Amino acid sequence: MKAEILIYAYLAVCVAMIGFNIACIFVFRVKDKRLNHYSQRFIRIVRQVIADRTVTEDHCKYLSKKLKKINNLMAFDMTLDDLFAQNPEQTKDYIRQLSSLFTYLTLEYREKSEIQAAYFPYIIKKYKIFQGQPIGIVMDILLELVHSPSLYVRENALQAIYSIGSAECTMNALWILNESTYYHHPKMITDGLLNFSGDTKQLAERLWDNFDRFSNRMQRVIVDYFRFSSPDHQERILELLTSHGVDDEVAYSCIRYLGKYAYPPAYPVLTDIVEKYQHDQWIYTSITASALSGYPGDRTVAILKELLHSPNWHVRFNASQSLMALGLYYTDMIDVFEGRDRYAGEIMRYRFDQKNMKEKEAVGIGLDSK
Amino acid sequence: MGWTVNDALFMAVKNMLDWVNVLFILYMIGYSTFLFLAVVIGSSELYKKRQQEKLKNTLLQDYYIPISIVVPGYNEEVTVVETVRSLLALEYKLYEIIVVDDGSKDATSQKLIEAFHMHPIRRSIHRKIPCQPEEFIYETTAQKVPLTLIRKKNGGKADALNMGINACRYPYFICMDADSVLQYDSLSKIVRPILEQENVVAVGGVVRSCNGATLERGRVVEYQLPNNILACMQVLEYDRSFLASRILFDKFNGSLIISGAFGLFKKDMVIAAGGYDHSTMGEDMELVVKLHEYCVTNDMPYAIKYATDAICWTQVPERLQDLRKQRKRWHLGLFQSMWKHSVMLANPKFGPVSFISYFYFLIYELLSPFIEIFGVITMILAFAVDLINVPFMVLFFLIYALYNCVLTLTAFFARIQTIDLKISFMDVVKAVLLCFFEVCVLRFIMAFVRATAFIGYRKKKLNWGRIERQKINIK
Repeated sequence: MKAEILIYAYLAVCVAMIGFNIACIFVFRVKDKRLNHYSQRFIRIVRQVIADRTVTEDHCKYLSKKLKKINNLMAFDMTLDDLFAQNPEQTKDYIRQLSSLFTYLTLEYREKSEIQAAYFPYIIKKYKIFQGQPIGIVMDILLELVHSPSLYVRENALQAIYSIGSAECTMNALWILNESTYYHHPKMITDGLLNFSGDTKQLAERLWDNFDRFSNRMQRVIVDYFRFSSPDHQERILELLTSHGVDDEVAYSCIRYLGKYAYPPAYPVLTDIVEKYQHDQWIYTSITASALSGYPGDRTVAILKELLHSPNWHVRFNASQSLMALGLYYTDMIDVFEGRDRYAGEIMRYRFDQKNMKEKEAVGIGLDSK
Repeated sequence: MGWTVNDALFMAVKNMLDWVNVLFILYMIGYSTFLFLAVVIGSSELYKKRQQEKLKNTLLQDYYIPISIVVPGYNEEVTVVETVRSLLALEYKLYEIIVVDDGSKDATSQKLIEAFHMHPIRRSIHRKIPCQPEEFIYETTAQKVPLTLIRKKNGGKADALNMGINACRYPYFICMDADSVLQYDSLSKIVRPILEQENVVAVGGVVRSCNGATLERGRVVEYQLPNNILACMQVLEYDRSFLASRILFDKFNGSLIISGAFGLFKKDMVIAAGGYDHSTMGEDMELVVKLHEYCVTNDMPYAIKYATDAICWTQVPERLQDLRKQRKRWHLGLFQSMWKHSVMLANPKFGPVSFISYFYFLIYELLSPFIEIFGVITMILAFAVDLINVPFMVLFFLIYALYNCVLTLTAFFARIQTIDLKISFMDVVKAVLLCFFEVCVLRFIMAFVRATAFIGYRKKKLNWGRIERQKINIK
């Protein structure tokens, strides 16, 4: 009897799973067909509206009723994609006229499930719906979404905020991330900020004004953002680097910044760092060795040559790279090759081999292109 | 009335068979429950992912985390150039390719040097993990990304991988086989878990059979189930194992295997844990188990993830002889890894990794061939002493087979539907029929193969485990 129960249980699972498979196949097919059907219908309607060049109240009412449903919004997205490909300017104009409709829809989608809520900011970002015209209630709702435990909701909301280009709202979003217990990868914030479509100078000012209030992690993100966006912050970055109690990670980012955008007043600070940390903090030394490539001069060469003898591989590696970047010749390095430090000689030999290889390849590419 | 010796013997056999019966029922219930949970959770995860992608709940920006791809190879002159070409076609910006020729006896290195006009270079490798010395190094920067060839003294796959790790410039590395092809978007997909979660130390990708598929610049342009029956059955088997168990284990950070054909690792962590162990055959599994042990022992927060949409296409063996070789290696590797890290067995410090993953691999992977063969012997014995109801047993077996088939097909269809692959009606029929054959026949053949894996294993300890390869169908 017990074995029979087992057999019935297996059979029941089999039947349920077969049913599940058939249902899935059916549902997917129907859904895809329906989506295409909706999209075709929207295309007909929207084309007519674009041709008439006016978005009527009736059209807005129709859309506000339809687009509350996620499938319709997806179909509408497909429609706009098609129309953009055919007639970008008129489609942009059409979308611009729909901003009040999208304000209304923002309120609707706030109430939806997380997965659906994330789709709406994606649409805002994709079609730059509120670009340059931040609307209070929309911004509030987007900021609410930045609180979400779902990474995708947060990220889509952040992207929508960057696309609108409000410095104030972007600052508020960063505050939320700063205080949040949810993990948001620093690279995503740094790269995301680069998409900010508003006045970047204004954003930078706001970031500096509030810099000390951010956590070390967020400070690092901000300095990295400056590094990828503008050379205008050298003075403040140097000030930050030399300030008392600066976090190590933030300091590394500052050194990288000053390596990318050389700033003569920073030179003594960088050389001091090498001197101070040469023997016990290799990360500082190796990052500074890289940064020094932006500061040509005899003293730099002497410091870098000395760093070639570091017991740390990363320091030697970066120092050799910087020496090559300074454009030294083989003859300038004779003392290293003839010296007693095999490791220093090896790493420089590799650099010169690499240089020769690149020159040969450049000639090869040149010949190929001829 | 006294009992005769025969009666006593009969009762003893009956008692033993009763016990065996109970144990088998428990074993089968355990496996079928696991399979059910794995397939249901795996399928729903895939369907959820598909819905998320449709609703753009995914990272839409390109966030490039620098990656080094390590391709260890031994006698790969037939495929290595195509493999590197396919890697150069990947849609990702920040990566490098390092091919490690493990002392091949054929022209693996020469083929690469000629095909990509590589230059000899005097480079010293920073040896953070011990490995055999290099013989020569070639590099080129004329390709889309830097390409390095390191020819070293033969030391086995794990040793070649360790050399590759030593030569990596970037903080994350991917290990892959020289005869596999990564899908065009596989790098951007495999780095996602790193962006999504803190402390991810390793990410496993999906390995799919490319027998029957035609690829063009890392994209599948034609797909059908392979004509070779053995390969076709492995397609179903891969879907069941990759979809089912790995997604389930991923739910509680319990993955114990990341396939050597495609996995992403955090370099510092792997170096700290000691790199690949060249004394085991299953270096890929051993590394993952070692990472678990290392992180737990050192109280480090960590996660080992599984990227269901990062795909690597690989050739599965088309001859039984090759399949046998491959499965024997896998089984020995499994045994060595589990033996070496037996500290994880029933150890509360490791939580679900110990009580679910390790236990599952012990009972349903390592010991299962012995248990299954023992089951067959027991049935023969029961039949001999007339203690078995044959029609009932046949019915039970058929229903159990049906159950396995339905779940395997669920995994197969879930995969097909969620990656928008179209297959013909004939392929569906083929999948259904071969699924039964796989469950009823191949599974038992493989059980026997795995049970006999230990015979003569010392001789093959450091072999690369060659199986006959054909060129992948790349347009």
